[in-house]
Amino acid sequence: MKRSNWLLSMTAAAVLATPGMTAYAQQRTEIQMWMGLTGQGGELLTKYASDFNASQNEFRVVMSFKGQYPEQRAAAVAAYRAGNPPHIMQMFDAGSGDMMAAKQAIVPVSEVFKRANLPFDPADFIAPARGYYSLPNGDMLSMPFNVSTAVMFYNKDAFRRAGLDAEKPPATWPDVIKAAKTIREKNAAACGFTTTWLAWIMLEQHGARHNLPLSDKDNGKAGGGATLNLNTPANQRMVKTLVDMQKDKSFDYGGRNNDAAAKFISGECAMLLQSSGGLGAIARDAKFQFGVGQLPFWPDLTQNGKPFASTIGGASLWVFNAPNRTAVEYRGVALFLNHLRSTPLMKDWAKQTGFLPATNVAFKSMQDEGFFTQNPGRDVPIAQLIQGVQGAHTGGYRYGRWVEIRDVYHEEVEKALQGRQSAADALHNTQRRGTALLRAFDAQSRN
Amino acid sequence: MDRKVIFPHQVLPYWLLLPQVVITLVFFIWPAGQAAWMSVLQQDMFGSSVDFVGLANFRELFEDPDYIAAMGRTAWFSVAVTCLAMAPALLLAVMADRVVRGGSFYKTALVIPYAIAPAVAGVLWLFMFNPAVGVLAWVLKQWGIDWNPSLHGNQAMTLVIVAAAWKQIAYNFLFFLAGLQSIPKSLLEAAAIDGASASRRFRTIVLPLLSPTTFFLLVVNMVYAFFDTFAVVHAITGGGPAKATEILVYKVYHDGVVALNLGSSSAQSVVLMLIVIALTFLQFRFVQKKVHY
Repeated sequence: MKRSNWLLSMTAAAVLATPGMTAYAQQRTEIQMWMGLTGQGGELLTKYASDFNASQNEFRVVMSFKGQYPEQRAAAVAAYRAGNPPHIMQMFDAGSGDMMAAKQAIVPVSEVFKRANLPFDPADFIAPARGYYSLPNGDMLSMPFNVSTAVMFYNKDAFRRAGLDAEKPPATWPDVIKAAKTIREKNAAACGFTTTWLAWIMLEQHGARHNLPLSDKDNGKAGGGATLNLNTPANQRMVKTLVDMQKDKSFDYGGRNNDAAAKFISGECAMLLQSSGGLGAIARDAKFQFGVGQLPFWPDLTQNGKPFASTIGGASLWVFNAPNRTAVEYRGVALFLNHLRSTPLMKDWAKQTGFLPATNVAFKSMQDEGFFTQNPGRDVPIAQLIQGVQGAHTGGYRYGRWVEIRDVYHEEVEKALQGRQSAADALHNTQRRGTALLRAFDAQSRN
Repeated sequence: MDRKVIFPHQVLPYWLLLPQVVITLVFFIWPAGQAAWMSVLQQDMFGSSVDFVGLANFRELFEDPDYIAAMGRTAWFSVAVTCLAMAPALLLAVMADRVVRGGSFYKTALVIPYAIAPAVAGVLWLFMFNPAVGVLAWVLKQWGIDWNPSLHGNQAMTLVIVAAAWKQIAYNFLFFLAGLQSIPKSLLEAAAIDGASASRRFRTIVLPLLSPTTFFLLVVNMVYAFFDTFAVVHAITGGGPAKATEILVYKVYHDGVVALNLGSSSAQSVVLMLIVIALTFLQFRFVQKKVHY
């Protein structure tokens, strides 16, 4: 009896200690957003949230960083299962398939705007991003925010040392190979070229650039049951090129994700395939003149020598569903998303980071201002993405467990680069293991 | 009856025990139970379809050649980390024990690395050996070594082993030093008078008397290598290249957190738990017989 009294009084004390917080929560509805960016991107997002908070007094957006995309995703999934996910989560491209399949866990952004009676037209977003994050019926599932594509950065000083034309980046793979060999022969740099995001660039972007499917079923967009089709002559040649060039350092592997960017920034490698969003770090840290070129292509895989458009990467914003969410909270979510897609904000974001403006209006406005002509290199991703030829397989893909399948590709290609298996074996194994993961995903997400 | 008057708080000992019991229950027993339960389930990441599958997750694991390879790799990794963490620590402890002047300075300096978080230690080593910007990577390249741990698996493994062991040396050093200082000087002096050389004194007196410490450290270091090296691997290699540094605990993380394959990841943590329990049991059962207390 005594003990329970004691517990009771402790609980009462705890409750009494928080009236300030309760009153505050009644005043403003809190909207949680989890972001996957640090550094400049994270700072900007936090600033956008506090601007929004200052602009009205009904809602308060709390922006938090819970780790890089995979860790954040795991935390959000755990929070969802505990009944309290963040309202908005920023999720990278490869995780989109998993989110799209989780119909009960998300509220499509189209729906969020509709409930809040705010106008929302998916056609406002640039076409590649719209296609990537929408259902075939046009409903947009998540709102594209940081949109990028892969481009080539090159070291103009190293090009000059090698006697190459520093104003003309190599456009095709044969040109890149030749330039890289020359750079090595003249010893203008310790390595010819390197790449970040191996699977995204060498598999996904390579596929889009040549309009090659990654699988049947419209790259998985037509529903489950897709079988990967990766062990093709085109993919074999791409991987074999890397394996062969690794031997004389005209290509040097620099690790997964973003790791290889350091090899370019330090001057070790003369060319870098990287997300256009990587521009900020390069501009800040590189102690040499650099230029931006389009993602190289294989001329024999194009129509009339014109490559197809590359596909997008980056991340989009997902709205979680939860049983205890009120209509007011969803209204706050819609208002904040509306703030994020507003033209001044989209322009500020794109200008500062090197990501692409996600809406047509923001893009048009930047174009009219002459931003792309005044900032050489910034037009490259746009030209590649929007002016490139659109094909049946340039609009991205939709697979569950793709995060894992990317790592399978990394592992198998690393094994090939180490000389422990052929390029064909690497692709065969990726295809086999990847398709098995797709089947396991289908089996688990049947409901 | 008298006793009750002297100690009226019969429940007090339980209250004092309670915090530890609660911590153990909440942070160890409960998650371990969760892992065991989830290891017999298969579910999608959002938990909307959950099936009881019995031991299917375990069967899948042991049919997976990658998992078997990871087990072998972990065995080799933990033996290497344990040896590399203990041998230099013993050497340093013996040396520090002999230092007369400024002894506490050396001892403090040698203990400091233990205060460094594993992830920070990992990043430290990562930077020193980063092929693009690392100081020591530059030195290796000057020697004509093709240093690129993001491509060469054995280089990556060496780096992870050294970083993991380095962190543990300070801890081992501390225990060895304490062990050395508790050896009665009279024994060593008597042996010296009998004409035993320094190396003989070390072999026949110091080592046997240190054996409880050594045994304790052996268990602790093995468990460390199995469980606590995750942060080092995560910071330095991320398990790559081509799985070269994917030890069991890292695979649990990758399959559970990155891939969100909760069934398999839970089954793996159960296996890992069993391995460490078995290892500790074997060590106490067999190695302890050779230990002189």
